[in-house]
Amino acid sequence: MLGTDLLKRLQQNDSGALAALMGLYYDDLHNYGARFTADEALVKDCIQEIFISLWQRRETADTILSPKFYLLRAIKNKILKSLHKNNRTAFPNKEYDFSYELSIEEIIIEKQVNEEKIQKLRKTIELLTKKQKEIVYLKYYHHLDHTQIAELMNVTRQTVYNLLHETLHKLRSLLKADFIAQ
Amino acid sequence: MLNNFCSPNLTCTNPKKTFRKSSRIILIRELIIIAQKIMKDFRLFDIYDFLTDDDFIRWVQEAKKEDNEFWNNWLAQHPDKHLTIEEARRILQILTPRKSAIDDLEKEIEVKKLLDTIGAQPIDQPEPRVLHISHNKKWWYAAAVFFIALAATISYFVLTRNATAGKFDYTSVTPSKQLVENVNSSANPVRLVLPDESIVELSAGSRIAYGNNFDSSQTRDVYLSGEATFTVVKNPAHPFRVFANEIVTKVLGTTFTVRSFNKDSIIQVTVRTGKVSVYSQENTSNSETGMPNQLGGIILTVNQELLYKKSNREFKKTLLQNPVVITRDTVDQKTMVYDDAPLEKVFAQLSKIYGVSIVYDNDLMKKCTVTADLRSEAFYRKLDLICKAIGANYEIIDGQVVIQSNGCE
Repeated sequence: MLGTDLLKRLQQNDSGALAALMGLYYDDLHNYGARFTADEALVKDCIQEIFISLWQRRETADTILSPKFYLLRAIKNKILKSLHKNNRTAFPNKEYDFSYELSIEEIIIEKQVNEEKIQKLRKTIELLTKKQKEIVYLKYYHHLDHTQIAELMNVTRQTVYNLLHETLHKLRSLLKADFIAQ
Repeated sequence: MLNNFCSPNLTCTNPKKTFRKSSRIILIRELIIIAQKIMKDFRLFDIYDFLTDDDFIRWVQEAKKEDNEFWNNWLAQHPDKHLTIEEARRILQILTPRKSAIDDLEKEIEVKKLLDTIGAQPIDQPEPRVLHISHNKKWWYAAAVFFIALAATISYFVLTRNATAGKFDYTSVTPSKQLVENVNSSANPVRLVLPDESIVELSAGSRIAYGNNFDSSQTRDVYLSGEATFTVVKNPAHPFRVFANEIVTKVLGTTFTVRSFNKDSIIQVTVRTGKVSVYSQENTSNSETGMPNQLGGIILTVNQELLYKKSNREFKKTLLQNPVVITRDTVDQKTMVYDDAPLEKVFAQLSKIYGVSIVYDNDLMKKCTVTADLRSEAFYRKLDLICKAIGANYEIIDGQVVIQSNGCE
């Protein structure tokens, strides 16, 4: 995989590899980071710091099995830590925001559903818990496996499985109710 | 990363990792994708299996050529899965957020900033995505040969397996036991007749096996994975036993359903007619799990249900969600119109019609009367109406209805 090749080069003090890694994963990191906070500057700063840390520990870069997972975990931890510091909330405060919108545009165009139904669907989707949203995002956007998701969310694999299935069930019955006449 | 590859009842090995595209190995990659998919049995997939399957997700999200070919082909061969897959696609489309991309110029600035900070020489034209990495040519050729061989072997096995394709696949469950197995991999229930004329309705995605000395052995033993409804021919000399994981249901002659899918956390036994005895194969004493071992057994009668939780071996005997009328005598039903009728009579009829035991304090409640038309109501609704009329509550304890009341004026 390209990422692991770059890590190998990184180990050999190749700063070009560091630049390449940032270019490769910047979008993903920004996409994930921006969901915890609207503070754009904070997200960018955190990404910088993560790559600086990575450079500092480049000697052991080959111990990183999945660079994408490693970086996603790093950005989440870093941003949440910063947010806690600023708010002076008691640590460890497990609560954090996670913004996630499901894309129903395609369905709307395809099926030409009326406005009322769309609103109902949007509202009900908003009722998904933050945990459910994050799990769905990590699985369907970043394609992480259940073990990785469990570690990122600090829950068991079983919980990931359960929450994921809950969400799928919910969505499915929602869609059935609204679109069954199609 | 392709993990969790196999549906519960198939054993297969982990797939090889997919490799980076290169003109040399695109053909190999296609073969690998096909080979990997063959090892999974999509026919057994329900909508949630598709929604969590990496191959399916990749097809819906990326629509790569080799995936399109595979799936369109597969769909043509399995039109019964069309609706499920359509539904899954729709849900997936909703679940997949739009890919966001930061402006390239912005990224360049960030990269330059990073390099400055670590004190390195900025690179002239950072094009992170275009990097040339050389490969050992010999190694790729060796890998190519290996995968062609692998794909060939797999296709051979697939072809020989498909030669006997049909609703039922006959394979032996364990070679040590001489078992006859029936598998239902279709999406609909399938009806089987056992050697003793007992009838089994096997649900989708389920399988059942029995010894080929079924008819002659002391007990008529059947092994189940999934769900089936049994109508067992009466033969008290040869008890009929259904083994589903650790739960054994033993009957003499009756109609009942056992549900025990690997993915379920609860095993369920439901009785339609007759009586069954349910026990656990776990050889532990009563006090530890509460579940009787082989020597004892919980008796389930009509309209009753046993729920057994696999994780903590807890069990619960209860009534069906919707108990059915068991008497064929429609006269009984017609008489369920009451005008100041004594409670005793009402409960007696209710009990008889559904075969459910109703426990109440007759002395305490002898003044209670009921005025209601209960003919077309479902069982629990009938109960509700009666209790409302007499100011009582009910509870289902151990598969029986227990009435709580302070009596009537």
